[in-house]
Amino acid sequence: MGRVQAFQAGSLSESIVGFAQFAREHGLNIGIQETQDALVAAGLGILPERQPFRHMLRSLFCTSPEEILVFDQLFSLYWNTNPIDLEQRKGEVSIQGSVNKKTNASLVMLGKGNARLMAEEEEAKHTSGANEAERLKKTDLSLLTAIEAEQLEEIARKLCRQMAVRMRRRMKSDTKAGRLFLRKTIHSSISTGGEPFRLYYRARKPRKQRLIVFLDVSGSMDKYSLFLLRFICALRDHFRQLEAFVFSTSLKRITRGLQAHQLETVLRNIEGHTDHWSSGTRIGECLQQFNDVFGKRMLNGSPTVLILSDGLDTGDVALLGSALQRIHSRARKTIWLNPLKGMKDYQPLARGMQAALPSVDDFRSAHNLESLLELENLLMHA
Amino acid sequence: MTELRYPAQLGEFLDSHRYVADEDLLTSLFLLLKLHKPLLLEGPPGVGKTEAALVLSQWLNTPLIRLQCYEGLDVNAAVYEWNYQKQLLGIRLQETSSRPVDEQEQKIFSEEYLLKRPLLQAISQVEGSPVLLIDELDRSDEEFEAFLLELLSAFQITIPELGTYRAVHKPYVILTSNRTRELSDALKRRCLYHWIGYPGLEKEMAIVRKRLPGIEEELLRSVVEKVQFFREQKLVKTPGISETIDWAQSLQVLGHRELNRKAIDQTLGAILKSTEDIELIRKHSW
Repeated sequence: MGRVQAFQAGSLSESIVGFAQFAREHGLNIGIQETQDALVAAGLGILPERQPFRHMLRSLFCTSPEEILVFDQLFSLYWNTNPIDLEQRKGEVSIQGSVNKKTNASLVMLGKGNARLMAEEEEAKHTSGANEAERLKKTDLSLLTAIEAEQLEEIARKLCRQMAVRMRRRMKSDTKAGRLFLRKTIHSSISTGGEPFRLYYRARKPRKQRLIVFLDVSGSMDKYSLFLLRFICALRDHFRQLEAFVFSTSLKRITRGLQAHQLETVLRNIEGHTDHWSSGTRIGECLQQFNDVFGKRMLNGSPTVLILSDGLDTGDVALLGSALQRIHSRARKTIWLNPLKGMKDYQPLARGMQAALPSVDDFRSAHNLESLLELENLLMHA
Repeated sequence: MTELRYPAQLGEFLDSHRYVADEDLLTSLFLLLKLHKPLLLEGPPGVGKTEAALVLSQWLNTPLIRLQCYEGLDVNAAVYEWNYQKQLLGIRLQETSSRPVDEQEQKIFSEEYLLKRPLLQAISQVEGSPVLLIDELDRSDEEFEAFLLELLSAFQITIPELGTYRAVHKPYVILTSNRTRELSDALKRRCLYHWIGYPGLEKEMAIVRKRLPGIEEELLRSVVEKVQFFREQKLVKTPGISETIDWAQSLQVLGHRELNRKAIDQTLGAILKSTEDIELIRKHSW
């Protein structure tokens, strides 16, 4: 990348254009319009004072506090450097690493590639069902063979897509009557001398619900994570305002990654984001971290909170209780999905689960595809 | 109003109107006026975002038209609505007249029967550009944001029964957001952007001094220092500058001359608005 510095350009306009390019290369979203505005503004005569100039460009080129941080670095890099220390600075710029750097996403991480024990396969086959697909839907996700997992993935993809469409559609026809639509009623009553013979109604716009999802990606959840992730992707199609996080020993926000709509990319992103894809779980600390960093911003307007975890907590249990309670107090509904709940004779005895339950409105299983799809109804009315 | 050449000119005026602005905010306002682009002000609650729009309208000597956003805000509340009661009455009154239906309809849907909401008001101003403040945009729905996008680029509104309104004087638009949700990139790209954070000690003191000219320097300093300390704590609701002013004023009204324990006990409710916060601070400090 041949980086031009301010001192290399011939005129001020040239260096502004150069700077716009430089900033664009480093991740700021600057279009031609912005550059043009900058040139116009530069002609306003508040130059050559340095600070106003910087403020001017900043308010034109940035769109968030995060970008402002990047901008300030870029600005001084571009406008301050002189040829002498340019050499030293080279290579120091690594702002905003691109997301796609890691390419070798592997499903082994999700427990798919593991060799299965014979006993497990045995058990999976014992589940009876009308046909293969039905059987797979009912099979515990942790007991799938690699081939079955692939088949189930195919089914899941289809069903999840259907679910998303269904949820959208039902939202519309659910609201039939609604309020009187005066505007149209009056319009049509003119021809009958102001007598509103025919009443028009307007369906109430469905309130768009916000959803916050936490997915446990620790070792104990390994085998479920892939499907749960696919499930989250499907939900995204319905809830336009969906925030997603993965957690194990620390919390990572993956909302941006989900926007790609492609599981592969998401996987790759998460892999890049999470160092502890398969290690101990500190649910309490992660939720606390959420409260501190995102709580104020995201818990507004009572969203629905969905936690996908087995509740096997290795951290501070009291913290889990208090952190979840804080979320609960501001959420419309807290739903906890636990894959272990699908097991026969399961009792929520794990310490983490015990601490969490008082703040959970709905405690459900998520061990097979069917139980995930059942959630549809719950979320519809959330 | 003299001709505006430098951002600093604005500064003097704002200063005389009890608004303390940083140089970078002045530059943003200056650009707003010169480039006629909307300005998006983001920042935590209570740092003077709304106030900035107010002072700007005073500088321009134009009306300030304000649209407060909320969840579920729709076109009827933001742009226009027909005055239904009046329309029904109008139809009744016309019953006896022998005018053709077309004409009657035209009358019912004339400007006389139209309720102009803030956005339409801003567009149909005849004398000079008004300041349009769209407050707390992050609270509105995404659909409304999309609508706004259209409005901000064309500055025209179409009412099916009446026709198109085009702004004679493009309003100066200030949008504010508390960042409870991220606004769309498309909208942001149409705006200038400025982030207002919490001020430093000296600046906050200057602001309070402007608002409460009679305050004693010693009390002022200890109040502001305390507030700055509060902001560093993990509070449920971090106090803004307006709360600092409220607090200082409460202390003043109660006749306290220094910030002792009793004074704080009596007035803590003016600055901290949640029981958890109050408990936390009580535990923390003494």
